[in-house]
Amino acid sequence: MVAVASPRFGQRPASPATLAELEKLTERLARKPAAHLLVDGLSIGYSTLRGRFHAVEDVSFEVPAGTNLGLVGESGCGKSTVVKTLMGLQPEATQVSGRALLDGQNILGLDETALRDVRWKRMSLITQSAMNSLDPVYCIGDQISEAILAHEPVSKATAWARAEQMFALVGLPAGRLYEFPHMFSGGMRQRAVIAMALALNAGLLLADEPTTALDPIMQSQIMTRIRGIHAHLRCSMILVTHDIAVVAETCENIVVMYAGKVAESGPTAEVLESPLHPYTMGLKNAFPRLPERGAPRQPLISIPGVVPNLLLPPAGCRFASRCPFATEVCHRVTPPVVQVGAQRAACHHTDRAAEFRVAAARPETWRTMRGAV
Amino acid sequence: MRAYIFRRLAQSVLVVWAVTTIMFFMFRVMPADPTAILLERGLTDEARQALLEQWGLTGSLWDQYIAYLGNILTGDFGSSFLYRKPVWEVLTPLIINTLWIAVPGLLLGAALGAAIGTAVGWAKRGGKLERSGIFLATIIRGVPNFVIGIALLTIFSSTLGWFPSFGMGDPGETTGFARYMTLDFLHHLALPLIAVIIYFMPENLLLMRSGVVENRTEDYIELVRAKGVPQRRVAWHAARNSMLPLITWLFPALAETIAGIVVIEIVFSWPGVGRELVLAVTRQDYPLAQAAFFLLAVMIVIANLAADLIYGKLDPRVVYK
Repeated sequence: MVAVASPRFGQRPASPATLAELEKLTERLARKPAAHLLVDGLSIGYSTLRGRFHAVEDVSFEVPAGTNLGLVGESGCGKSTVVKTLMGLQPEATQVSGRALLDGQNILGLDETALRDVRWKRMSLITQSAMNSLDPVYCIGDQISEAILAHEPVSKATAWARAEQMFALVGLPAGRLYEFPHMFSGGMRQRAVIAMALALNAGLLLADEPTTALDPIMQSQIMTRIRGIHAHLRCSMILVTHDIAVVAETCENIVVMYAGKVAESGPTAEVLESPLHPYTMGLKNAFPRLPERGAPRQPLISIPGVVPNLLLPPAGCRFASRCPFATEVCHRVTPPVVQVGAQRAACHHTDRAAEFRVAAARPETWRTMRGAV
Repeated sequence: MRAYIFRRLAQSVLVVWAVTTIMFFMFRVMPADPTAILLERGLTDEARQALLEQWGLTGSLWDQYIAYLGNILTGDFGSSFLYRKPVWEVLTPLIINTLWIAVPGLLLGAALGAAIGTAVGWAKRGGKLERSGIFLATIIRGVPNFVIGIALLTIFSSTLGWFPSFGMGDPGETTGFARYMTLDFLHHLALPLIAVIIYFMPENLLLMRSGVVENRTEDYIELVRAKGVPQRRVAWHAARNSMLPLITWLFPALAETIAGIVVIEIVFSWPGVGRELVLAVTRQDYPLAQAAFFLLAVMIVIANLAADLIYGKLDPRVVYK
C-alpha cells in the first residue's frame, strides 16, 4: 500500500527497509501519550513607543490529557498570542511571565535548543493562515519530511512514507506531496498543514483558527476532519476560534477571553448553557441558532462599543464600559475570579447571573448601552 | 519549455544582430581616421589609401556593412589594424586572462555577498552585526572601484609588500596552460581577484539582506520555526526565498560589472580583454573593438537567458510558455 509516488518516475513500491523503518516509527509514535497542559498566571507584554502594555494578563487554564479546550474571544483579545507564546514564537523582547507546564515541565522561557525538543515532538501547531504558512519554493512532501527528519532518526524515504500516511489521513492523494503550495487550493493547503501537524503525533495540538481563511463549507469539512482525526489519535488540543458553535461541537472545556484576560472558563456545556459573565452572554447572543419549531426567530444581538485600548486599560473590569449590567464597583475594582461549580468567571456580580441571563436575551438590554468606549 | 528556449534563442540572435549593426555604424560615424596611429611612422598618401583598401574601409558604407555581416557569419572579424594579426589571435589569450579574474571574482562575490547578506539579515534587528554590515556594504558600494584597487595596491603591495603591484607574472618561462598553474601566477592573481570580489559583493549583500529581512516575518518562517528545526535551517528557508529577487538582479548586473572589471584590469595592469577594449577604441582599431563588443553582447545575452532558466529552477511558480 505504501508506495513512493513520483510524477517523473511513476509509482514504485517503497523498499522493504523503508517499510520496516516506517512500521517501527509508526509504532513508536503511536505510543506517545496525550499531553497535559497547565497554564498558570500567563502574562504577555510588549514594550512599544507609546509605553508598555499587556496583550495577555494573568491567564490560567488547564487542558487535561486527551481533552479539547476551546479558546474563544473577539479579534485582538490575545487568544492567538497565548498559542504563539506556548510555541515559543513570540517576537523577541516580549515580556512573558507565569508558567505553562507541559506534562509538568515549564515550557516558557526555554532556550532555543530546549525549545526545539518541545516543538512538534510534544506540541504541534496548525496555523491560522494556511495560505501563507507553507514555504512557496519547497514541495509539500519536503516540508512535512523536514519536520519528521528534525526529530526522528529515520531515512528520507521513511519520512516521505510517513508524510504519505498523513496525507491519507487528511484525504489527500500521496502523489500531490510532490506539488508546491501554489498548486493547492485553500482547503487543500489547510489539510496539508494539518497533515504536517499530525506527522509526529505530538501530545498536544494547537489549532490556531484553522478554518478562518476558508469558506463555510470548507470550514465545516475541515472541522469534521479535525474532530475525526482527534477521536482517532486521542491527543490533547487547544482550539482557538471565534466561532463558539465550533467549540460547542468539539471541545469539552472552554475559555472565553476578553481584552487579554479570561472572562469565563469551565466545561463547555455549562458555560454555554448558563454563562456567568455578561460578556459570554453577549457572545452567545451574537451567534445564530436554529429556532425551535413554532418559536419566534431569535434576533442576533451584537455587543455595542469597542474593546478598550490596552495601552491605557480602564480601571476595574475591562468589560464594564460595554456591559449593560455594570455598576459603580465594576468601573473601580478589578473583579475577582469566582468559582461556581466547575465554572470560573471574573465578574463582581456572578450571584445575579440568572437574572442577567434573562435580561441579556432581550435586544433592548444591549441597545440602551451607547457610546461607551 | 523547449519552445520557450527556442524562442528565446531566436530573440537572442536578433539582439546580437542589432548590437553588431549599431556598433558598425557607430564606429564609422566617429570623425576619426584609423590610419592616424600609423601616420607618425611616415605614411605616404598612396600607402595610406592602400591600407584603407586592405582594411575594407573604402567603398560605400552599405557595401562595407554587407561585407562585415558576411564575415561575422563565417566567424571572421578581420585583422587588428595595430597588431596586424587576426582579431581572435589577439583576443583569445586576453579573454582567458579576463576569465581568470572575472569568473571566480563574480562567483565568489555573489556567493559571499549572499552568505553574509543572509547572516546580516537574520541578525538581531538594530544589533551590531546588522548595523556594521549595512554600514560597510554601503560604504564599499559607494566607493569607485578604482579607489578599491588603488587602496589594495597601497596597503598590500606598496606598504606590506605581500603582493606584486602589476601584471600577470613573468612572461615566457612556460607557455600554454601550464603558465596559469604556477604559484607566481596565483600570487599576481590575488589582488585583482580580491578587488573584483570586493567590488561585486556589497550589492549582493544588501539585496540578500533586504530579502531575508522581508522574508523572516512571513508566516511560513513561523511554521518552520514551530517545527523545531535548527536555527540555521530556518534562516536557510528565508535565504532560499530571497534568492529569487537576487537572481533577477544578478545576471543583468553582470553587464555593468564587466565595465567595472575593465577599470580593475587597468588599475592592476592586468592584460585582459577589457583593458584591450579600451585601448582598441582609443586607437580606432575597429576590428578589435567590434569583436570585443560582439563578445560582450553575446555574453550578456547568454547571461540573461541563463537567469531566466535558473529562475525557473529556483521558483516553482514560474511557468515557461
